[in-house]
Amino acid sequence: MTVPTIQTAGLTKGYGDICALKPLDLQVAEGEWLSVMGHSGSGKSTLMNLVGGLDRPSGGSLSVGGQDLSALSEDGLARFRREFVGIIFQQHHLVPYLSAVENVMLSQYFHSVPDEAEARLALERVGLGHRLKNRPGELSGGEQQRVCIARAIINSPKLLLGDEPTGNLDHKSTVMVLELLKELRAEDRFTVVLVTHNEEVAAWGDRTIYLDDGVLVREERLRS
Amino acid sequence: MLFRILKNSFLKRPKAVVLVFISIAMGAAVATAFLGIAGEVSHKMALELRSYGANILLEPAAVEGGGYLRETDLPKIKTVFWKYNITGFAPYLFGVADLSANGKKERAVVSGTWFAKQLEVPGEEASVQGIRGIAPWWEVNGRWPEGPDEAVVGASLAKRLNVGLGSEVGATVRGRAARFRVAGVVTTGGFEEEQLFAPLVTVQDFLGKPGQVSRVLVSALTVPMDDFGRKDPNSMSKDEYEKWYCTAYVTSVAKNVEEVMAGSRAKPIWQIASAEGALLKKLNAVMLLLTVLALGASASAVSTSLMASMAERSSEIALMKAMGADRFQVAAIFLGEVLIVSTAGGFFGYLAGNQLAALISHSVFNSAIASPLWLFPTAIVSAFLVALAGSVAPLRRALNIEAVRVLKG
Amino acid sequence: MFAAKLLPQLFAFFGIAAVVLRGYPERRRPLAVSVGAGFAVGAAVAFFLFRNFPGSFPFELIRTVVGASFFLFWGIAVTALYRSSERALPDASGRSSRLDAVAAPVIALGAAVTAGALAACRFSGNDAPLGPVPALVLLLVIGALLAAAGFFLEAKLPEALTVSRAGTLGGVVALLLLSSSYLVRLDLFSPLSMKVMKGCHDFVHQFMESVLIPDHLFVRPQIWGYIGILFSKEVGFWGGMVIWFTPFLLVAIAVRFELLPSVGHIRQGAQRRKLLAAAIRQRRMKLIVPLLSLVLMAGAAYRSSFPDVEYWDPKPIPVAADPSGDVFIPRKGGEVDLSDGKLHKYLLKGGAREVRFFVMLTPTGKLTVDLDACAICKPDGYGQGEGSVICYYCKTLIPLETVGKPGGCNPVPVAFSEKPDGVHINGVTLVNAWSTTVQSTGAKKEGGK
Repeated sequence: MTVPTIQTAGLTKGYGDICALKPLDLQVAEGEWLSVMGHSGSGKSTLMNLVGGLDRPSGGSLSVGGQDLSALSEDGLARFRREFVGIIFQQHHLVPYLSAVENVMLSQYFHSVPDEAEARLALERVGLGHRLKNRPGELSGGEQQRVCIARAIINSPKLLLGDEPTGNLDHKSTVMVLELLKELRAEDRFTVVLVTHNEEVAAWGDRTIYLDDGVLVREERLRS
Repeated sequence: MLFRILKNSFLKRPKAVVLVFISIAMGAAVATAFLGIAGEVSHKMALELRSYGANILLEPAAVEGGGYLRETDLPKIKTVFWKYNITGFAPYLFGVADLSANGKKERAVVSGTWFAKQLEVPGEEASVQGIRGIAPWWEVNGRWPEGPDEAVVGASLAKRLNVGLGSEVGATVRGRAARFRVAGVVTTGGFEEEQLFAPLVTVQDFLGKPGQVSRVLVSALTVPMDDFGRKDPNSMSKDEYEKWYCTAYVTSVAKNVEEVMAGSRAKPIWQIASAEGALLKKLNAVMLLLTVLALGASASAVSTSLMASMAERSSEIALMKAMGADRFQVAAIFLGEVLIVSTAGGFFGYLAGNQLAALISHSVFNSAIASPLWLFPTAIVSAFLVALAGSVAPLRRALNIEAVRVLKG
Repeated sequence: MFAAKLLPQLFAFFGIAAVVLRGYPERRRPLAVSVGAGFAVGAAVAFFLFRNFPGSFPFELIRTVVGASFFLFWGIAVTALYRSSERALPDASGRSSRLDAVAAPVIALGAAVTAGALAACRFSGNDAPLGPVPALVLLLVIGALLAAAGFFLEAKLPEALTVSRAGTLGGVVALLLLSSSYLVRLDLFSPLSMKVMKGCHDFVHQFMESVLIPDHLFVRPQIWGYIGILFSKEVGFWGGMVIWFTPFLLVAIAVRFELLPSVGHIRQGAQRRKLLAAAIRQRRMKLIVPLLSLVLMAGAAYRSSFPDVEYWDPKPIPVAADPSGDVFIPRKGGEVDLSDGKLHKYLLKGGAREVRFFVMLTPTGKLTVDLDACAICKPDGYGQGEGSVICYYCKTLIPLETVGKPGGCNPVPVAFSEKPDGVHINGVTLVNAWSTTVQSTGAKKEGGK
């Protein structure tokens, strides 16, 4: 019996009067691929931010990888993020004035020390060996998202978070990106939490949970 | 990596960088210029008030100009109570005469004085007194007069008369005539450059005032003036008067000398000089205030432009935070940028400020200035300070950015 | 006032304790004890030396020890640099730990003994407020307290702040030099630059002579200009600076070039990089002590170049008149050398009266005996500064040349007879001169007005 990667009990988050997340109990096993579905404003992004250490819970307990996140300081959370989590955003969020390989190296720099050779390898692994020196503006949406994936996995995180990672992509690119994620997970054995409102994307996971108005309304196990 | 980030960020956003650079460079330039001028002014002031110059002036007590001091009283100066503190003195006898040389005629002051006179005072050790002792900064081109008919001519008088070393200068006053051979041309930086200096005896003969002296300049080793020294001796208690009398304030030495020179009144020269000094001090204070204001203005300009670029870059910083950069790493990137810009800004500001100082000095004070070496580190440091002061608020803002909110938007 | 003067020595000792403990963390307790004990021993030895060897011998000895530690450190620094250039990792066990077992106590004891002696030097002057025994007791207590403080406060320093072996020694040496730079008689930087200047001078001289080229064909005036630089005063200063700072830079460079751990065998990139980053961070932390030492050394050099201006004012030595009323001051005796151009104060007790007077050699080459008072001021006495003596009462500077002449605020001269062995003064004359002067100081109140 291994410790679950994510374990929450009565986790809540409120912004002022608005309650974005009602008490939530959730467990995600190590190596699991969890899809989180819901409309906008259903609290799925809030959940992802809490799990990724980008935001602090208002109540309840939240432990990720055995660490109690609410006990960590500001810099402790930063450390947690760089060593434990890889995040992929819908809008990519690449640094516009850095090339693809430099964007990956930036992540290495915050984590420890930059290593250009390793960053190149990571980009080759996501199939961008030929676009190392290009700036984000010179890459297509799918390519940019692949840079993001390379950046997210470069520090060998235990947990990969995706916030609508395919939201801006066409069908073909979406499939490519998800295929890539699946391959990488098979090799590196990290846990995946993908937030999406697309059933098709959610179907790639092992399990899907449905959030509505901050409440877990349904859970569906696809494979184990 | 830090270097790569900085390089690319500079190249990517030249406008913001240039804006910050200009504000810092302007601040540093103004600081350099003002401090340079202020430093130069104080330097000149210090030259004026040089400690080894004469600091007591003895004049005849009779105000209406008819009075003279007696040359025979002079040796008594070396016998007064403070004799060991008097390092030198020189008598002067002035008269206006018509000078002629090389066919040119000019009216000018002829001064009789001691250049370096061997003075024997009974009961005291022999000493050498005269201008050479009390005004060592006089620059004589040529040599000091040795014979009775030799003289040194002030530089600007020499120019007017068009005389040089070895020339002959004729002088007439009220029918008497004398001829002087120019042994040297003297540069003093003061009114002395308009005069002709000849041995005292010669001038006494020439002016028909044997044994008479118009004034005596005395150079004394004194204690810096303090509040006690400024008190009026007449209002002192016995104890105080005793202490005042036995303290080598310039005033007490002056009083001491006055007592032995019959019919004289002694004025400490510092009274003039310190009034001047107070004015210059005020000027310096104004300069300093202006500098601080200029630096403050440029710091707020830096702050504003950094704030603006901060708003532009907030998503970038939020991203870095999301990737796990801690506050130290964010600050390093931010301050690294500011530090590089401010070093460059300080350097160019120094160069520009030097030019500015030269320009101001030339147009206002009509003199060239030599920029002191300490200005360079000062310019760089003030640029750093301006940059740091200006980046406090933007940096706080950067550190307080909440990644979640920014990245969502 | 005096406590403030002792502060640099105490600070240096505290720093030494902290650096040594940080340098050899595995032996903290015994090292702290030996540091405290060493300080006590050093102070005791110094007092013993002062007692049995009056004169400059104890100072020479202490200065030699401090200087030797500096040159020893030079050797260590060069070795450290050499070893860091070897393609081998510093091994954490075996040989080096056996070496440490010897080196740690030697460094700790040696440094503490020297620090104790330096602190004791503060009590050697005539102006010391305490006699040797209370001073020694005081130093023992302070030493024990500081060692304990070092022991506890060092533990509070961040754990990441480590120091290399050479860095430890460097920190210790820098602190010793800083401590000694505050004692004018133990100053090392000025003699060092003097030696450099002289060495350079001699070298150029010999070199030129051996080449026999006073007017050589190839040595043009410009070149002579450069050669001239070697003779200038600057060369001593800058040369001294180079010798002064280089070993610390060498240690810093050695740390900088320490090999990073080999990480090739670690498959996962992130883990590999983390190890590297940690090693780099550790290396940076190790630089802190050498760089701080550089700052301390700069402070020591500054101290040496701009020592505190203090008036030389020795404690009056009591003298007595023999039955015939003759007061005899030997030309040389104890620490006193009348012909050294310094003020030497004496105290003659005649009945209820105490007469303070001084003997000094003026720059004119004549001995003079004067009362420690002038004809007009209150008899607060004189101190000697640069080229002058100062009347403490009215703060008037009196040129040294005129000391011995009556008048003004000059000290009142006293008749004396000079013999080859010393100076003879009539005690009655002295007492009379003093009483009339002090009286006339009172009477003068009227006369002045």
